[in-house]
Amino acid sequence: MDLERDLRALEPAWPETPELRLSLPAQSRRRRPWLVAIAAAVVVAVAAALAVPQSRGAILRLFHLGGVTIVRVDTLPPAQERPLAAGLGPVVSRSEAERLLRTAPLLPPGPAPPLHFGNGVVSLLLADRGRPVLLSELGSGDPLLMKKLLATGTSIEGTPVGPAYGYWISGAPHAVYLGPDVPPRLAGNVLLWQREGLTLRLEGNGLTRGRAVALARSLR
Amino acid sequence: MEGRPREERELVLRAQRGDARAFGELVRPEQEVSFRVAYLITRNPSDAEDAAQDALVKAWRAFPRFRAGEPLRPWLLRIVANEARNRRRSAGRRERLALRAAASPGEAAPSPAEAAAGADERRLLLEALDGLPDDARLVLACRYLLELSEEETAAALGVRRGTVKSRSARALDRLREAYGPRA
Repeated sequence: MDLERDLRALEPAWPETPELRLSLPAQSRRRRPWLVAIAAAVVVAVAAALAVPQSRGAILRLFHLGGVTIVRVDTLPPAQERPLAAGLGPVVSRSEAERLLRTAPLLPPGPAPPLHFGNGVVSLLLADRGRPVLLSELGSGDPLLMKKLLATGTSIEGTPVGPAYGYWISGAPHAVYLGPDVPPRLAGNVLLWQREGLTLRLEGNGLTRGRAVALARSLR
Repeated sequence: MEGRPREERELVLRAQRGDARAFGELVRPEQEVSFRVAYLITRNPSDAEDAAQDALVKAWRAFPRFRAGEPLRPWLLRIVANEARNRRRSAGRRERLALRAAASPGEAAPSPAEAAAGADERRLLLEALDGLPDDARLVLACRYLLELSEEETAAALGVRRGTVKSRSARALDRLREAYGPRA
């Protein structure tokens, strides 16, 4: 007797498949006031913790900022180093980017470079003094679009970005996850902040905090 | 169908831009397999319906992160199975699968005696399958009852493809033992 054949031939009487509702809520929603309040409270708590060295071990394990979660780990999982321009997704128009983000993307002054969309993120490849810098813009609807893992050797500091407050992540590369189906990659120095309903991220190897903040403040 | 991949890619892009109708077209053919995977895990039709429904909404919200060109079914089944496992954990009960063998599948008009014997064999085989530990039961049900590919089974069970192969082989051995000398 062939057991595999018999299993295939079983054709059990399954319960009837119900009609699942395909009327779906909006994919992305405007940030609700309580979410803004929580994000602000987290930033304030982290800024306070950063000023008190003995509390770092306890508090620097998990941060949230908009669609980004930052986790402190002992050891980074395997992650590849990839060019900043790799895997950004197809080019989209400015109006498409606005529709996808539910708000207008922030752009550098002058002619804007192409906008890409992939994995829920609108990306632009900028140049800063001849070096590539990746600007990533995340809509505010999904609270967990990106995850960053930091090990020893990578520092995270609170930093003002214009009227907002953000994080400056620098030192050893850290790992970035964009979802379960995207292999993690190693990232260099990063400025992370929120503005006008967007979570924004600037990344570049050798990018300094001063240059990152200046670039961030120039976005319109 | 030659135009299908292109059409599907268009639907994916439209859905990623917030077109719920395009998303509906993409997932409608996957409703049955989604519900059945959820049923295998929860063992309860109401829980399975809730799990499949909630998974659909989660998939919609996560869809901007779906990579166009990737197969949809494994991605969707991973979400469905996670939702079903959560629901089963929170329900905290263990029910029998209660799947019955359909009458004389694929057989051309057997005699009443043959049909009765065949139905009995199928019932015993389903009972033996249902009596296996969860890991073994689920891998065999996904592979042979739902006829999922190894990739789809791996997604539904949250394991690697290699694990699906090895687990299937071990599960078949256990089923042979449980099913007794008939196998």
